[in-house]
Amino acid sequence: MAAINRIGWNKYAQALGMPFMAIALGLFVGAIAIWTVGGSVIDTYAEMWKGAFGSFYFTTTTLTRATPIILAALGVSLAFRAGFFNLGAEGQMILGALAAALAAIYVPGNGLIKILAAAIAGMLAGGLWSLLAGWLDTRFKLNLLITTLLLNYIAMYAAGYMVAFPLKEKGGTGGAQTEMLDSAAWLPKLFAGMTLHAGFLVAVFAALLLAWFLAYTAKGYEIRMLGSNPLFAAFGGVKRGPLMLTSMMISGALAGLAGTFEVLGTQYRYIDNMITSPGYAWSAIMATLLAGSNPIGSALAAILLAALQTGAMGVERNTEVPLEISSVIQSSLILFVSARVTFSFLKRRKARGADGNAA
Amino acid sequence: MLLQMEGITKRYGGLTANDSVNFSLREGEVHALVGENGAGKSTLMRMLYGEEQPTEGKIRILGEPRAFTAPSDAIKAGIGMVHQHFMLFPSFTVAENIVIGREPKSGGKFDRKAAAEHVRALSEKYGMPVDPSAKVADCPVGVQQRIEILKVLNQGAKLIILDEPTGALTPLEVDWLLRAIRRLAAQGISFILISHKLHEVLGTADRITVLRDGKVTGTVNAADTDAAELSRMMVGRELAPFERKAANAGEAVLAVDRVTVRGPKGGKPLLDNVSFTVRAGEIVGIAGVSGNGQSELLQAVSGLRAVDEGRVALAGADVTNKDAAQFRQAGLAHIPEDRYLWGAAKEESVADNGLMGHVGSLSRRGILRKTEIRDTVSQWVKSFNVKTASLDTKAKHLSGGNMQKLIVAREMAHGTPFVIAAEPTRGVDIGAMETIHDALLKRREERGAILLVSSELTEILKLSDRILVLYEGKIAGELSAEEATEEKISMLMAGGGRD
Repeated sequence: MAAINRIGWNKYAQALGMPFMAIALGLFVGAIAIWTVGGSVIDTYAEMWKGAFGSFYFTTTTLTRATPIILAALGVSLAFRAGFFNLGAEGQMILGALAAALAAIYVPGNGLIKILAAAIAGMLAGGLWSLLAGWLDTRFKLNLLITTLLLNYIAMYAAGYMVAFPLKEKGGTGGAQTEMLDSAAWLPKLFAGMTLHAGFLVAVFAALLLAWFLAYTAKGYEIRMLGSNPLFAAFGGVKRGPLMLTSMMISGALAGLAGTFEVLGTQYRYIDNMITSPGYAWSAIMATLLAGSNPIGSALAAILLAALQTGAMGVERNTEVPLEISSVIQSSLILFVSARVTFSFLKRRKARGADGNAA
Repeated sequence: MLLQMEGITKRYGGLTANDSVNFSLREGEVHALVGENGAGKSTLMRMLYGEEQPTEGKIRILGEPRAFTAPSDAIKAGIGMVHQHFMLFPSFTVAENIVIGREPKSGGKFDRKAAAEHVRALSEKYGMPVDPSAKVADCPVGVQQRIEILKVLNQGAKLIILDEPTGALTPLEVDWLLRAIRRLAAQGISFILISHKLHEVLGTADRITVLRDGKVTGTVNAADTDAAELSRMMVGRELAPFERKAANAGEAVLAVDRVTVRGPKGGKPLLDNVSFTVRAGEIVGIAGVSGNGQSELLQAVSGLRAVDEGRVALAGADVTNKDAAQFRQAGLAHIPEDRYLWGAAKEESVADNGLMGHVGSLSRRGILRKTEIRDTVSQWVKSFNVKTASLDTKAKHLSGGNMQKLIVAREMAHGTPFVIAAEPTRGVDIGAMETIHDALLKRREERGAILLVSSELTEILKLSDRILVLYEGKIAGELSAEEATEEKISMLMAGGGRD
């Protein structure tokens, strides 16, 4: 025991520092993009900051936008930690949102009952959709990456059809959308006049709960080992099948809850494309990748990505720089995150001497 | 003098990995470097190969001071290294792997024919036969090693570092390799041989340098020393003389009855009608050239592979084609053959790696009992002398031997009636080997049934009460501890009958 005490805090600092470096490089590339379209880099980033966190109103708007991203990111994190590439958050959110809207509209009772029914329906819908992909893997060995991705399209177009025809709001003049929920079923706002709703608190709680679950429970341990080395898990008596189905189910349920809160807290109905056009699910996957599937990290990364998006809206309102610049920054973030993998590999090679890796 | 390393010191923060080490190598000499895990052998070689820079000290090649900042510098200076884990491209041919980086070209294109011709000439020059057009993936381990050596020779190496070269080889391949080393040395190639296996070192090296805790405890001529002296220099104490009481075997704990595992379509079965028992209070050793069904057998009696025919019973329960969880429930502990493939999760902490299989007893209502987990694992770390910075260190930062000790501690702690010990001491040093062998023998005294699979005949002979030899998926013969000799086993391993 006496030897090799050289893994200090700076290792952890490095782990945390990495995402920040990816962000800094992303912002730098963004600066070049801004400069090429002829904007002022400083003004643009200042507007971006104001749009995201410039006032209490903007801050809460950012957090509102972050809420579904956090929940979906937690779902994705759980699946990734178990070693399953669930790319189906989008479809799971959509079905969750639609199921929640229907439950809130048709389940009789007071507001609380409607909200609970909507949450249960939303989580079930997302969970079962994700479970379907898991079952296809265990039963037919269909590649999860492909099934989860393709199930997104089925969910998207099925939901689009439903709200364009059978479930379309009666007599409404609007587009493809359900009727509006009874206001009793709306999630309470956290601050008067702000968009931030109670769903955010649930999301924060869920992040803490998931972090605790992974670190402190037997099932969480098994999930981590399964993701880290499936053969080691099998050797130790961990059963892959049931564990996979459970983690896919919970993963999808979290995405479903994300969709539910968009309905109950923001739109108050299901509107076609309400999940797809803001790109919530893909932001969630990106947040998860940025944070290396750590639940708390994913939640923070989700807020960061939401801030980039609300910030970009501020930029669009107040400068000549187009909204797409934010997409440029986001895309370069993805690039630098994938570069991070290579970089840590190089670092590991260098650090081999420090590993006590004797012959 | 081809190489002189003078007063080499390497510090990592507070830890001194090498302390004023002196090491030299003559032309055409084989100089062995021995020492326990973590003694600093690898660090010293990494500095020579340019992967690390010394904190203090000088490296001279033919008297000239040299500083290597990258392996490419070392390669240019005529130094080559063959790592313990081969660095070959399995889907490419032997010739392509050997000429990599120096491909013969014609008209700007890679000239495969010239490469094959070049490799053929090279292999003849050094007496290392290989088939240039074979795919590396189809070559046995011994041949892959030849390819690695030819690769560094092709890079112009005059000094070759061999890091644990015999670890994965069969006895015949080991024999061949050691003779090849002597032959190449006679041709003027110098070798640094890193090894744990003292009898190999004694038979091959000219001089032997022993490292302990980063310091040189001595450099001796191989002709003037013996294994006992070297062990003393390595461990710093006398090893307890080994004693094994006579077996007093009881009822069968593991019963394997006519088990067959079919191979790929049309091929021979991987296991062919195998029957044997392991009884309480005995160690049954399985010997065989690797690839003769040992892996399949191990997986079949641990719930990691289904059998096509036959039954497996463990402690009276029929566990045929049950999963690993059910085998463990029935009374299995398993030190796996490949510690990183089956036995550990490299990216996870020492504590998490220790917990595997113990979750049931170290959790309450699904919640892990963190304090007890840490107490238990640190108890193992202490009793097996696992060198780790902390329980939160990732497993990949432990050396192979220390990881192995952790796995053995974890599995022995189950206290199950049946233990599989597959290659229990592969790549571990003498001190750790003693600890692991003691643990296995203690379990035998406690009426445990132990199935030992090892490619080390000395280990099989030392520990086993009965020895079964696997050849092409069949049990080719059974020998009692009394009648077994290395020759008899080798004969059976090579497919020769008992008579």
